[in-house]
Amino acid sequence: MKALTVLAADEFKAPGLELFDLPPIIPGVTWFTKPVLLALLSSLVVIAFCWSAFANPKLVPRGIQNIGEVGYTFVRDQVARPFLGKDADRWMGLLLSLFFLVWIWNLMGVIPFLQFPVASHIAFPIVLAVSIYVLKIYLGMKHQGGLGYFKNMMFPPGLPKPIYVLLAPIEFLSNMIVAPFTHAVRLFANMFAGHIILAFFSAVGFWFLFEQLTPLGAPVGVVGVIMTIAMTGFEMFIQFLQAFLFALLAAMYIGGSLHAEH
Amino acid sequence: MPAMSEQERRPESDGRDFANAAWSVPSYILSGIILYGGGGWLLSRWTGVAVFTPIGVIVGVVLAIYLVYRKYGR
Repeated sequence: MKALTVLAADEFKAPGLELFDLPPIIPGVTWFTKPVLLALLSSLVVIAFCWSAFANPKLVPRGIQNIGEVGYTFVRDQVARPFLGKDADRWMGLLLSLFFLVWIWNLMGVIPFLQFPVASHIAFPIVLAVSIYVLKIYLGMKHQGGLGYFKNMMFPPGLPKPIYVLLAPIEFLSNMIVAPFTHAVRLFANMFAGHIILAFFSAVGFWFLFEQLTPLGAPVGVVGVIMTIAMTGFEMFIQFLQAFLFALLAAMYIGGSLHAEH
Repeated sequence: MPAMSEQERRPESDGRDFANAAWSVPSYILSGIILYGGGGWLLSRWTGVAVFTPIGVIVGVVLAIYLVYRKYGR
């Protein structure tokens, strides 16, 4: 591709970090940028969706209640029950909102004209992950006692005594620092990379078919367009998967705090 | 592997253990690498013997896998 672009008058430049550096929508209001607007919009979408689906439920579901119930059943059976067992129903409000909110955040990345995945700014997943982290520690201390929580976490029963010296620090680091960190970073990194990939292939298509149309460059542009379409489909799968994983890990952390393991 | 006592384990809690184990592994291994790899790196800096760093990383991974095995694998 390098050789092709050198022939052109102006070189092709792959999109980079400037994709994420967005100006304020209203000049002077520096915090109000596109991801903030999309995050607010996503919240409205989730609230409106849940309201219309669940506010006035019918015994025989119709229309939007049908879709809502499919989503509810999915989150309950795949996310809540495997980790929370009989406590699953009590936590469905949180987990369902979390799943739908993250999914809509992610979907913003492929909706035409909006086209920005909210979670590709790491502040957004951090806020959700920190909320779950605080909840996890609160529930752990409430259900297992302040000291008991850390004792159950760092000294799981059934290990040879001397080994605890080596393993307790791993447990502590894993549960207290690495787990919440990866919880946020997993979502952020997937959305960040996905957005760059989509921007790159569409930039290739646009550049080689519209801006610098040459006999040699045109096939590259066609490949760019085809890849944009294929990667958009793949990205939509990843968006769903990451929303699912985020809710699933939240359920796992909550479940681990409600009951000590073994 | 020791024989599992079928009466003691409810199927529901079995599934939960498996899911917990599967999703905890990356976090445990990363923690093992950071702790013991970091310790090895510090030892390497102090003693000037470079080989402590990779030894620490391997020890960390082994300990993390052992932890997951003992916690969930039996």
